[in-house]
Amino acid sequence: MSVALPLQAGIEAISSGVNYVWILVVCFLIFFMQTGFALLEAGQVRAKNVGNVLMKNMTDWVVGVLVFFIFGAAFSAMIGQLTTPGLAFDPAGAFGYITDPGAAGWIDWFFGAVFAMTAATIVSGAVAERMNFTAYVFVAVAMTAVIYPAMPGIAWGGTGLLSSNGFIGDALGVGYFDFAGATVVHMCGGLAGLVGAKMVGARAGRFDSNGDSQAIPGHSMLLAVLGTLFLAFGWYGFNVGTQATVLTAEGEFMGAALGRVVLNTTLGMGAGGVAAMVVSAAWQGKPDPLWTANGLLAGLVAVTGAVPHVTWWGGILLGLIAGALVLPTFRWVVDSLKIDDVCGVFVVHGSSGAIGTILIPVFAAPGVLSAGVGTHLAMQVIGVAVIGIWTVLASIVVFGIADALFGLRVSDAEEEEGLDSSEHGISAYPEFVGDSGAGSRSSGAVSADGGRVETDGGVATDGGDNE
Amino acid sequence: MSDEIKLVMAYIRPDKLSDVKQGLAEVGAPSLTVTNVSGRGSQPAKTGQWRGEEYSVDLHQKVKIECVVADIPADEVAEAICAAAKTDEKGDGKVFVLPVDEAYQIRTGKTGPEAV
Repeated sequence: MSVALPLQAGIEAISSGVNYVWILVVCFLIFFMQTGFALLEAGQVRAKNVGNVLMKNMTDWVVGVLVFFIFGAAFSAMIGQLTTPGLAFDPAGAFGYITDPGAAGWIDWFFGAVFAMTAATIVSGAVAERMNFTAYVFVAVAMTAVIYPAMPGIAWGGTGLLSSNGFIGDALGVGYFDFAGATVVHMCGGLAGLVGAKMVGARAGRFDSNGDSQAIPGHSMLLAVLGTLFLAFGWYGFNVGTQATVLTAEGEFMGAALGRVVLNTTLGMGAGGVAAMVVSAAWQGKPDPLWTANGLLAGLVAVTGAVPHVTWWGGILLGLIAGALVLPTFRWVVDSLKIDDVCGVFVVHGSSGAIGTILIPVFAAPGVLSAGVGTHLAMQVIGVAVIGIWTVLASIVVFGIADALFGLRVSDAEEEEGLDSSEHGISAYPEFVGDSGAGSRSSGAVSADGGRVETDGGVATDGGDNE
Repeated sequence: MSDEIKLVMAYIRPDKLSDVKQGLAEVGAPSLTVTNVSGRGSQPAKTGQWRGEEYSVDLHQKVKIECVVADIPADEVAEAICAAAKTDEKGDGKVFVLPVDEAYQIRTGKTGPEAV
């Protein structure tokens, strides 16, 4: 929405100001989800790969924002033009946010960018601990240039294939419900992660010679759970902020809409965590903090598309369903599909987003549905299928190209050593480093580690026993 | 009292450390070095859970105590540790007494029993 501020300070100017300040604040909250993802993933990997997973999370943001500005946002708009009957293909218009932003074009771009980077950063959790960093950077570029941007292009903004004006929406007479991106953002990231985890292959030792899974515990439950709670905090920006209009141009306060969104976000999160806690206690004998954390996020994902559209009890039920399915779905991915999805991104972001979004018409609040439940359900299933098929196919192509160009995996030796050391030359938890030996290299003194010492002439003495 | 220097080396339950420190102080040997270690002995293996997969933990968290004595008899020190660390369950740990050839105090340059 482009906003032209009139010279006289009327209600329109005030509503624009209020709404765009709100949008900026929620964007900062959504940006903070990057912190949550970084901690959540770092906690679920071994100490030798912590720096690498943090690098991948930072790469998603720092590379992604540049790519999404130069190309991704325009690609999204072009996909919307191409899949809407009656809209002309207008590349110059698609790049208009760069050339002619108006009063709010750059804020609108930033609002889109924080969602794009959320989708991109989900992938790293699935392919952690064994993927080549260069290949990952390539995937992150493709994710923010093409794979993700096509999704809001077809589903959001009133144009595109799945909108009520698009080819499919027009044919069915209803639009696709996915309010804040349960499928557009989260399922896209979760499925891209699943494809990546499959194509990169399981970590060494994840499956024994019989194909049975072997646990590789992460190094910090504290980081994983704190990351989960940071993510949940940012999620209020993600969901409630998508209700971007706080004050309409007519002066109406949108409190009821904001209230339904914040209530269903909160109830879905709570129900997801409770269901996962109960299921983990039944399955493993004791309630498990990591499953509970995953269930909390699965509940959030499940209601992300549904928050303004469903009743409060619908919000609770969506959260319960998603949370209860976390453990069995993850076991299915590992035990049946034999895919090493390290952080469980498929179940948390992928299947939870699909289920929660498909069920929106079943739990719809009064006045939400414009046609029969069946018609809306058909639209939801088609929408999930379109987003799912696009993401899987595009991800296969992108990971395939990355494999051909750079190779998807690090070597066995590098994996064994840990990616912190082999990919980045660092240790996330260094110990006993200080001044030992630092001054001895040039002075020719004995090095503290008894290692090779070079004299002034550059001749190595044996065992540090110099001169 | 004696010229002999002994190293009393004990492996105990982490939660018994404060009792053992108290016991050592009571026999007049409060100086010690403590290290976090993992070890295996008679204590049965535990089962851990990660994402619904069980794994066996047979190396248990223990605390290693090193206590070098000269004036205080090593057997008194060892018995003090045993008394303080005992729970009667498997995994209480072990105490070893080793001879020490020589001792140097870095600050003063003293050697032998005086340095301990």
